[in-house]
Amino acid sequence: MRYYVQRVALAILLLLAVSMLTFGALNVLGDPLFNILGPVAGDVNNPDSVKMIELAKREFSLDRPLPVRYAIWLSDFVRGDFGVTFSSTGQPPVSGVISERLPRTVTLVAMAQFFAILVSIPWALITASRAGKISDRISTLNAFFLVAMPNFALAVILKFVFSIKLGWMPLTFVADDPLSSRLFQMILPALTIGLPVAAVYQRLLRTDIITTLQQDFILLARTKGLSRTRILLVHALRPSLFSFITVVGLNTGALIGGSIVSETVFRIPGIGSTLVESVLRNDFPVVLAIVMIVASAFVIINLLVDFAYTLIDPRVRR
Amino acid sequence: MNTTTVPETEPFIETVGLKTHFRTPRGIARAVDGVTIQIRRGQSLGVVGESGSGKTVLSRSIMGLLPRNGVIREGSVRYRGEEIGNRTPKEMRSVWGREMAMIFQDPMTSLNPVMKVGKQVTESLRLHLGMNAAEASEVAEKIFRDVRIPEPSRRLNQYPHELSGGMRQRVMIAIAMACGPNMLFADEPTTALDVTVQAQILELLSEQIHDRNMSMLLVTHNLGVVAGYTDEIAVMYGGKVVERAPTKVLFDNVKMPYTEALLQSIPRLNQPSHSRLAMIPGRPPDLVNPPGGCRFAPRCAYARDLCRNEEPPLTIAETPDHTFACHFPVGSPEYLERKVEISRRAGSTGGDN
Amino acid sequence: MNTPNTNSGAETEVARKKLGFGFWLCVSWLGAMVFIALFTPLLPLKSPTANFLDPSQGRPPYSPSWKHWFGTDKDARDVFARTMHGARISLTVGFSAITAGFLVGGTIGVMSGYFRSWIDRVSSFVFVVLLSFPSLVLAILLTSLIERSLLTVSLVLGLLSIAPVGRLARAATLQYSEREFVLAARQIGAKDRHIIVKEILPNVAIPMSSLALLGMAVAVVAEGGLAFLGLSVEKGITWGGLIQLGSDASKTLEKAPWISFFPILMLFLTVLSLNFAGDRLRTFFDVKEMTL
Repeated sequence: MRYYVQRVALAILLLLAVSMLTFGALNVLGDPLFNILGPVAGDVNNPDSVKMIELAKREFSLDRPLPVRYAIWLSDFVRGDFGVTFSSTGQPPVSGVISERLPRTVTLVAMAQFFAILVSIPWALITASRAGKISDRISTLNAFFLVAMPNFALAVILKFVFSIKLGWMPLTFVADDPLSSRLFQMILPALTIGLPVAAVYQRLLRTDIITTLQQDFILLARTKGLSRTRILLVHALRPSLFSFITVVGLNTGALIGGSIVSETVFRIPGIGSTLVESVLRNDFPVVLAIVMIVASAFVIINLLVDFAYTLIDPRVRR
Repeated sequence: MNTTTVPETEPFIETVGLKTHFRTPRGIARAVDGVTIQIRRGQSLGVVGESGSGKTVLSRSIMGLLPRNGVIREGSVRYRGEEIGNRTPKEMRSVWGREMAMIFQDPMTSLNPVMKVGKQVTESLRLHLGMNAAEASEVAEKIFRDVRIPEPSRRLNQYPHELSGGMRQRVMIAIAMACGPNMLFADEPTTALDVTVQAQILELLSEQIHDRNMSMLLVTHNLGVVAGYTDEIAVMYGGKVVERAPTKVLFDNVKMPYTEALLQSIPRLNQPSHSRLAMIPGRPPDLVNPPGGCRFAPRCAYARDLCRNEEPPLTIAETPDHTFACHFPVGSPEYLERKVEISRRAGSTGGDN
Repeated sequence: MNTPNTNSGAETEVARKKLGFGFWLCVSWLGAMVFIALFTPLLPLKSPTANFLDPSQGRPPYSPSWKHWFGTDKDARDVFARTMHGARISLTVGFSAITAGFLVGGTIGVMSGYFRSWIDRVSSFVFVVLLSFPSLVLAILLTSLIERSLLTVSLVLGLLSIAPVGRLARAATLQYSEREFVLAARQIGAKDRHIIVKEILPNVAIPMSSLALLGMAVAVVAEGGLAFLGLSVEKGITWGGLIQLGSDASKTLEKAPWISFFPILMLFLTVLSLNFAGDRLRTFFDVKEMTL
């Protein structure tokens, strides 16, 4: 019990540190005022401009010292008020933007993870049972290639082959389409992120399965007259999954990073592509909110993976 | 498998000149190098030897459980009159579990750690005997009772790590017995257990064998284990069988000096305290380059030149069903001559029989 | 059970103590890339920014031909020349980033591992914080706030590699600090600095150096990603940027795939070579993995 509490406390501390870092970076390295008002921010001689500057300063609390601004922001943030986006009209509120786009990213990442697991488990089982043979070596080579191809390059290639040349997959994501079409539209983007990750999973799982297959209890299973398939699926797989599960959890962060690229290439309006747009526009509240959400998700998932591990292995269960 | 009943006196399972060689980086290791044995229906054979004698490889070779690559097999293995030595694992699968079963040395590593023990038993029942879950569960519980696992219905749902060593071994026996096989291979079944538990397990095995009229091949390095629980004993050294006899005959009338040395190395309760345990000096032979002549010669106190040059042929002893391979067996003039020399040199130590 | 190990197919290929043909093949490719990156202005390439309009061929983009090996883009700029120039920034950033990361991260890691105490606690915490972001997110965040030059982008990526490198250096140092020869050296009163330089560093450097190639691969991919999103060196020609330009509009990708594909090929081969060579070195020296 103590262990769990400790880990949660650490996670919270971590998130605070992350938020401070991000907030600090944005406010110190960037110039918020410029981004709200544009060139007007520097125009201190024109009384109208000065009035606008004062207005903006008050609205965004820019006249207070940094730590105070941070405290204000933090108290708003945890209550779900992410502020307003930096645009001259102050619309739309950041939380609105996020709540609209977050589900898409979550879906995308979930689909990617789903594909990755779906592909890697059979792949690992087959190559483990044929370890050393030609098919295994070819597969290793393929996996290697897959990992060497950067996300964005893979996205471009997949888009070219499946959307443009073969026409199997739609080209764009249309927000107003019914759910089923939208899910279909996400298949290619999800594969872009999921396939390289599947290669990583497969490599790990394959090694673990091979190790498990050397164990005595597998030999006993053979003496029971069980078929190779049954031995692989029923006896060898489960004990080999422990590292796999940990890696799957920990890799979710990488998937989130991958979604940034995938959303940009396939033009899906999720928080990944929004992050990029906002960054290019210097829209700080949005950037800050997204970074915090992503970091929180990352930290929470790692925490859950930690906890889950103690639940999965019956030998560790008390 | 044909179902003609085989008369009791015909060998139930036999090997003729069985050889199992492994390709290793250093050369070909001749783990089993020409073994001919027979086991009758309902009879148990103990195979005794040090590590490296080939006894474990022998049991696996007979059952057909060898790795796929790097193995060279020669000779024949016949089960119920039919040749099974050249069968593929796929073909053997109908035999494994159903007609032949094996139990291993370490029940902790031999049981699937993430599967409930009950399921590990019902798996065979459902696969080979076609039972459904409920039937299999009932039968599994009954088998657990047979092997004397207390609170059998509760134990069915437990994991291996929740059971004691002795109980785990009983589970392994239960798994082996589940489908009522005719032949059991027991590979050092008691070595990993506490001394107090060992006898219980051996008793249990003996009981099961007799109740079910099963044949058994019991592999061990401990002569004390086979003493009370097997009908016949075969002693292996360097991949070959060097002596074979019914148990009582072997203990009463040992012929091969190696067997004698093994007998002498068993600590006995009636030895005076602080007696030095008799060890066999030296190490088991290199299976890749075995010594010429008798393989035990380098370590044998009674070896002479003939032993080092010529491999001793299998000789039939005067006692019934007893064969051995030695030029100068226990009791022969040359043996006695050497024995006097040794005693004179060493003086007597407390505990000599 | 004494059944001898018969190498029945599983990965018991005892680590071939040779680096192999594949390794040297990759090294040659990398060598070629480095050569190109260093000497681009001197090579007989067409100008990467000039427009080679040729009315006889109709409107650009022109497909690959003898005149333009990799074809041209919409503005009739030679793709081959641009791709070769792209190598400069991509490789330079990758190299500088990993060097900075190794120097800083490595130093911090070794110090934490050797001295422990507050240095270790502080640096470990900092590492964990840095690692709480998916690295691309942090990279995007930081590069958006600064003036993006070759130096600054390299520094940002270098910053990102400090945590993984540092953690590894620390772990390796910890391993060695506990060994007898270090304890012995301390006993005879050798100064810490002396021990670190003479005993620890040479031992830690071996596994670390074999990871330098893998780290560089990660850095090159990271730079590519940033460039693709428009966040790498301003006004620079990079592989990521070229890929983005060639794939932004579906029409471009459809009609003239070569604009993206050649840079993709170069990037892929380079990353593959780095990965393969790094992996080979890793099995050669037998080290654990590192990820950014």
